[in-house]
Amino acid sequence: MGDLTDPFQFEFFVRGMVAATLVGVLCGAVGVYVVLRSLAYIGHGLAHSIFGGAVVSFVSGISFYIGATLWGVFTVLLINAVARRRQIGGDAAIGIITTCAFALGVALISRHGQFTRDFDAALFGEILGITSGDLTVIGGVLVLAAAVVFAFWKQLLFTTFDSDVASTYGVPVPWVEALFSLVLAATVIASLQVLGATLIAAALVIPPVTARLLTDSFTRMFALAALLGGASGLVGVYVSWFINVSSGATVVLLQGALFAVALAWAVARSRWPGTGSGERLAAIEGAAID
Amino acid sequence: MVELAPSAPGHRPPPHPDGEPLVELSDLSTGYERTPVLRNVDFTLRRGEFAGVVGPSGSGKTTLLRAIAGQTRRFAGAIKATPRAGERALRLGYVPQVEAINWNFPLTVGQAVLLGRWREMGWRPWPRRHDRELLANILDRLGIGHLANRQIRALSGGQQQRTFLARALIGDPDLLLLDEPTSGVDIKTRHEIMHLLGELNRAGTTILMSTHDLNAVATHLPRLVCVGEGALIADGSPEDVLTPEVLRRTYGAEMLVLRRGDAIYVVEHLDDAMTGESEETPLPATPVGG
Repeated sequence: MGDLTDPFQFEFFVRGMVAATLVGVLCGAVGVYVVLRSLAYIGHGLAHSIFGGAVVSFVSGISFYIGATLWGVFTVLLINAVARRRQIGGDAAIGIITTCAFALGVALISRHGQFTRDFDAALFGEILGITSGDLTVIGGVLVLAAAVVFAFWKQLLFTTFDSDVASTYGVPVPWVEALFSLVLAATVIASLQVLGATLIAAALVIPPVTARLLTDSFTRMFALAALLGGASGLVGVYVSWFINVSSGATVVLLQGALFAVALAWAVARSRWPGTGSGERLAAIEGAAID
Repeated sequence: MVELAPSAPGHRPPPHPDGEPLVELSDLSTGYERTPVLRNVDFTLRRGEFAGVVGPSGSGKTTLLRAIAGQTRRFAGAIKATPRAGERALRLGYVPQVEAINWNFPLTVGQAVLLGRWREMGWRPWPRRHDRELLANILDRLGIGHLANRQIRALSGGQQQRTFLARALIGDPDLLLLDEPTSGVDIKTRHEIMHLLGELNRAGTTILMSTHDLNAVATHLPRLVCVGEGALIADGSPEDVLTPEVLRRTYGAEMLVLRRGDAIYVVEHLDDAMTGESEETPLPATPVGG
């Protein structure tokens, strides 16, 4: 029993676990909008782009959070501007701009070889190196995201469902999209230290997709995605201590396992609809009456 | 042109009731990005009217609806709308083509319909009792009261149209814009939708709808606007508008127009009609030119 509680005696472990849980909730909830708008690629791209921003801010001697935020917002605005040209399209715009931003980071690192080690955390995550300042930033972004989602629930839902029609009903779609881009950029920045640029996309996509397999209600999908994200963050970091594997990778692998279970359940339900509880009950009752 | 009997005065209401102008397009050229789709359009829709827009695919029917909804780029001319007293803009109820809707989105009928009332629902993400009562009333009125909790993807064609009609109506619109509301539905559903729209119009709702269905839909409307190759070709009652000359200019194809009493039939496959392979005609046809 003592072994199971061992890691909790280390403050850095507790901080890491809290951070992974909060980031899981944040990415799960924000990811619902990303997945339903078929923008899974933007999370991946934005994380890599912000890695470039992290390097630029380090080289130019400014705070990572300020530099990465400015870089992230600039990248999203640039993607929107390029994607407006119909002959390019959103996915290609994301591909071009985020990979160029990432390449800029890699170029700066290779030019200043001595920085390489410092960016391991930004690339692969360094959950046990989380400071109380990082926790404050993650908590702050979670509060910001929660406030935006609560205050603009209907506008975000309508814009995500059908942005063209939403604007005919008076929803200020460009503002809603800009606000969401800001929340998404802030989410990626807050998650960079925990999961690393390479794994953020998974945390943004897997819990919402798993939740989608389990429910047909938007509200329930939102709650489930946040819950699955938070739970896999908590359990993933805890398990990683014992199996001696990278925390970020353990969290994502756990999410992948949950997705596989949900997919198997969804496939079974669609192949054998009679196995659903409602139909099974009805069948039993019918047999009894006959 | 073939006229089977002298055209009798129809039972349809007059095409231009004495309502005040609700929307006025003056010499409007409009489209998307750098390309105007419609040119030099003059069109006035009065309060209480029920008008249809016909024309071939790509002629600009949807663009006309979207221009009124403020969703297109204006290159020249003006759009003037007359909102109700105390409001800055027209309240629009827009019903998009069913093909444009993401049916896999996790929404119930009730959630989808309440999106049309996002402004009136205030700051809360959830509906108040008044909103729920209004939702129940509107769903009952459209005969889908029992479907409030059903997934939108689990609806039949007619139920889908009714759901998005309910979303349009729950916001108490000044103008109902419907893009091909009878596209892809069976004959019975088409009849039900047209009956429902007729009832709404008689109750005072102004309606503008696009349709590709000349015989089953367009000929029964009080007013028709023909759009062809980006221009307004004709505007008036079906008796005045549906002539071989107008149809040739609109569709770029020869068509026959058969009249019997106040009924109008457009024979779209001229070759079939001329070789006797068309449906049986009730009276001998007399060619009158065109």
